[in-house]
Amino acid sequence: MEGLSVVLALVVLVIITVGMGVRIVPQGSKHIVQRLGKYHSTLNPGMNVIIPYVDQVPYKVTTKDIVLDIPSQEVITQDNATIIANAVAYINIVSPEKAVYGVEDYEIAIQNLVQTALRSIVGEMSLDSALSSRDLIKAKLKEAISDDIADWGINLKTVEIQDINPSTTMQKAMEEQAAAERQRRATVTRAEGEKQAAILEADGRLEASKRDAKAQVVLADASREAIERVTQAIGDQEMPVMYLLGERYINALEELSTSANAKNILLPADLPNAVKGLLNR
Amino acid sequence: MLEWLNAHIAYWHWLVLGLLLVTAEIFVSGFILFWFGLAAVFMGVLLMLVGMPITAQLLIWAGLSIGLVFLWQKFIKPNWKDRTTSGMAMEALTGQVGSVIDSNIGKARGRMRFPAPILGEDEWMFMSTSEIAVGERVKVTNISGNTLVVSPL
Repeated sequence: MEGLSVVLALVVLVIITVGMGVRIVPQGSKHIVQRLGKYHSTLNPGMNVIIPYVDQVPYKVTTKDIVLDIPSQEVITQDNATIIANAVAYINIVSPEKAVYGVEDYEIAIQNLVQTALRSIVGEMSLDSALSSRDLIKAKLKEAISDDIADWGINLKTVEIQDINPSTTMQKAMEEQAAAERQRRATVTRAEGEKQAAILEADGRLEASKRDAKAQVVLADASREAIERVTQAIGDQEMPVMYLLGERYINALEELSTSANAKNILLPADLPNAVKGLLNR
Repeated sequence: MLEWLNAHIAYWHWLVLGLLLVTAEIFVSGFILFWFGLAAVFMGVLLMLVGMPITAQLLIWAGLSIGLVFLWQKFIKPNWKDRTTSGMAMEALTGQVGSVIDSNIGKARGRMRFPAPILGEDEWMFMSTSEIAVGERVKVTNISGNTLVVSPL
């Protein structure tokens, strides 16, 4: 009975020990082995055996590409304009032991590095060139960070600028500038139009006055002609003229009476004298 | 208890246990149960040939299991080829041969190019303890950040 208990306990111990000693590392990750607290080796994908109780696996590191979101930040360009830029970085852990022992938290470390490098690179560019040359920023960023992350066994595969926008105040200012420019053009165009209109109007008045003057001359000539002809035709005789004038006078009065806004018509009693009075005779 | 077990454990108990353990391997991760199962099957065969007390059986089984795991790890697994280095930057890059397109003479770093892109890029910066002229072929020995450490071929 004692023998069986000991053997059963031994079997359990064997199973647990072998279980602890066998490490299956999946593809895409590596495990760090510490022997009694000190770095010993890095386990590659596949089955590995470590010494149970002595070796530990405190870190499991992915060797797949890690997507790091670089939070958006305000960057001041060389010409003192504020732009907001954010990026996304793809990093790959090349030496897991360096990444694990070289830096406390490599994700935060690289995020901050990219942020500061981005700030200094954009700080050397003017607003317009920063807005238009993403590829150049990308290349410079990669170069700038490359040295800093060398100690951490991390490879920066790519860093992409996601958004690079002027800040809200800057955007507002740019919009205002554009609006003001358009306003200025509109004002100039309107003033030019008004000037053109005034000139044309004056031209029109001048032309009209000329023609009016001509017309007056023509009318005067016609009146003179008419008067001459009437004078020739009538000679000293008075009556026909009186008759004609009287007729016209009465016709005019009649027309007056039919018009809508004149209800009271005063007819002179002594018509011939009235006509005479008109003729001043 | 001991007498009862001695009287009732037959060779086929071990066979069944072994097969169950091997089957269980499918459902549990880790390549351990398989060896315990294999050892149990072994034990069953052994018990068919020679009778022995249950304690001896268990001891042999445990020893056999450890031995199998050890043998597997020591002699068979090293001969397995790594089929892929995907997701392993260091293994994918070291040993690769490329040619220098921008010399590192007088500079800290030069540029080199691989015939096919490695890790998504065919041009890499390199540094080396020796000065390497343009056109020479170099072999990657290590990676430092985004720079390859190379030695002339």
